[in-house]
Amino acid sequence: MYHNSSQRKYWTFENEDCLEKLRCQANQKFRDKIISSGKVGVHESLLLDPLEEDVLFKHYEKRLLDFCAVFKPAMPKSVVGTANMYFRRFYLNNSLMEYHPRTIMLTCAYLACKVDEFNVSSSQFVGNLQENPAAQEKALEQILEYELLLIQQLNFHLVVHNPYRPMEGFLIDLKTRYLALENPEMLRKTADDFLNRATMTDVGLLFSPSQIALTAVLNSASRAGLNMESYLTECMGLKDDKETLSKMIDSMRRTKNLVKKYEPPKPEEVIACKQKLERIHAEFALNTNPKRKRGYEDDDHVTKQHRVAEEVGVNSASQAQCAT
Amino acid sequence: MDDQGCPRCKTTKYRNPSLKLMVNVCGHTLCESCVEMLFVRGSGNCVQCDTPLRKSNFRVQLFEDPAVDKEVEIRKKVLKIYNKRDSDFPSLREYNDYLEHVEDIVFNLTNNVDVEATKQIMEQYQRENRDIIQKNKVKLTREQEELEELLLLEQQGNEQRRLETLQEEQRQLVAKRKNKQALLDELESSQLPATLLLAQHKDRAAQLETQLERQRQVVKPTIFSTGIPMGQTVLLQPVARVEEVLYRYQPLQIHTHGPAVPELEQLGRLGYLNHVRAASPQDMAGGYTSGLACHRAVQDAFSGLFLPTR
Repeated sequence: MYHNSSQRKYWTFENEDCLEKLRCQANQKFRDKIISSGKVGVHESLLLDPLEEDVLFKHYEKRLLDFCAVFKPAMPKSVVGTANMYFRRFYLNNSLMEYHPRTIMLTCAYLACKVDEFNVSSSQFVGNLQENPAAQEKALEQILEYELLLIQQLNFHLVVHNPYRPMEGFLIDLKTRYLALENPEMLRKTADDFLNRATMTDVGLLFSPSQIALTAVLNSASRAGLNMESYLTECMGLKDDKETLSKMIDSMRRTKNLVKKYEPPKPEEVIACKQKLERIHAEFALNTNPKRKRGYEDDDHVTKQHRVAEEVGVNSASQAQCAT
Repeated sequence: MDDQGCPRCKTTKYRNPSLKLMVNVCGHTLCESCVEMLFVRGSGNCVQCDTPLRKSNFRVQLFEDPAVDKEVEIRKKVLKIYNKRDSDFPSLREYNDYLEHVEDIVFNLTNNVDVEATKQIMEQYQRENRDIIQKNKVKLTREQEELEELLLLEQQGNEQRRLETLQEEQRQLVAKRKNKQALLDELESSQLPATLLLAQHKDRAAQLETQLERQRQVVKPTIFSTGIPMGQTVLLQPVARVEEVLYRYQPLQIHTHGPAVPELEQLGRLGYLNHVRAASPQDMAGGYTSGLACHRAVQDAFSGLFLPTR
């Protein structure tokens, strides 16, 4: 459950400033790494600053959501939410310049399918990419390369609590206990929409999923012109607990503001930042990839002949042993 | 077991599983028939290593690996000379050194390492410690005799017990038959009604049973099977008493930081289940009920709602 989950312990932060700081730190770390590696012709302005990274992040997040939307077979909402959360958490501690967001986005989706037990084979997964089979193969290789890295950067905390089930829970509770509201079902659509917009913000890293879901429900109620204060005071038993009530209302207000504040990135900014990103990756990414490729090949994808040769060697050795 | 063939005639071992392999001092094996054939004159050379051997040196192989048999033979011979016991040594360290020395000798002889030097060491030791060897030999034979006596006693005890139980059974059978015969006779001759006679007969049979039970219980053991007589006080150090704090169960307390969730069993009564999709028969076959999904959703909705609790 959420209250004793790793999400609450390690991946819920106090306020947006903490998140800002972490992202700046990740950015700075990469900058220092590049400068200290002493490559010729490196200029500070070539590297992305946190704002540009943010623009790109939003762009690729949108791409991730679009990819999940057209996924065949239909991806359940919790998987999408989990993939999004992985993407967000990864880039909290890493810079976009170091790992290309396109691959990471696919890896997040792939890992989320596995973790949420939405069974999709790897070939089926890359079949959803709009490309020729050769490019799909390459993409799959890249995904498998980055998978372990992603898990590591998530600190192996793979269970993500999304606000979708709490929202269902609230609707059930409303229908059962809060009879002042005649038809809670009409709140569902707007609440759903609110949650989808909320996944594109940082609320998942700041508030508990039940709070986000409650905000969604109350927001859609207020949109429809209904006052649900009495739900909080009566059904939640908060009539006497003013402090908790005020804190909850405060959190909900903050959530609403964050969701409202969200703006999709402007296309021309995106294009400019993307160009910079591609250039950075072309120049600096060469040193990281080959090393990892070799390491991975040592594990599974080793040339099949090696394994056969090994087996033959083992067989002859064991035969020799038996003969003596 | 017949993975090893006789190295000479090869086939005969597989075809004849009762055929035994014989080992000699050089460590090589030969089946019985080959031994007969080769050593018809009493002595000859080993087939594989060409060492001169005598027919009398062949022993039936006990172990699968002939090397082990060879080592066992050598060990027996060495230990005939090096027969000191741990009581002959003033300290544990010296006893262990002695044992290691013996092992070295056995190893050398088995693997044909420095055979000459080792044999010389052995002869020297034999000369120096002749009387000790003699004394120990005598002790050993005495111990063996005692063991044999004990074994004999045990066997005799077993025999006696067996005879006794047989006799008991015989007696019981006889008694039962007599009883039956008595009943028949009475039925013939007596004037009393048949039912009364049958009742008497049954009583007698029951009495016999209880008598037999009592007889069996009379035999009380006075001595344990290891030889320690019963009732003997054994002086041991008292076990140290360890007092621990008694464990008290404390139920688990989980803080959900949210409003209280109704119990799974109460959901139906409270009306929650009306608003959840009912479980189809296929779902219920696996043990799923709509209450489970409802409970989970409500739990998730309430968990962590009042955070942060700072």
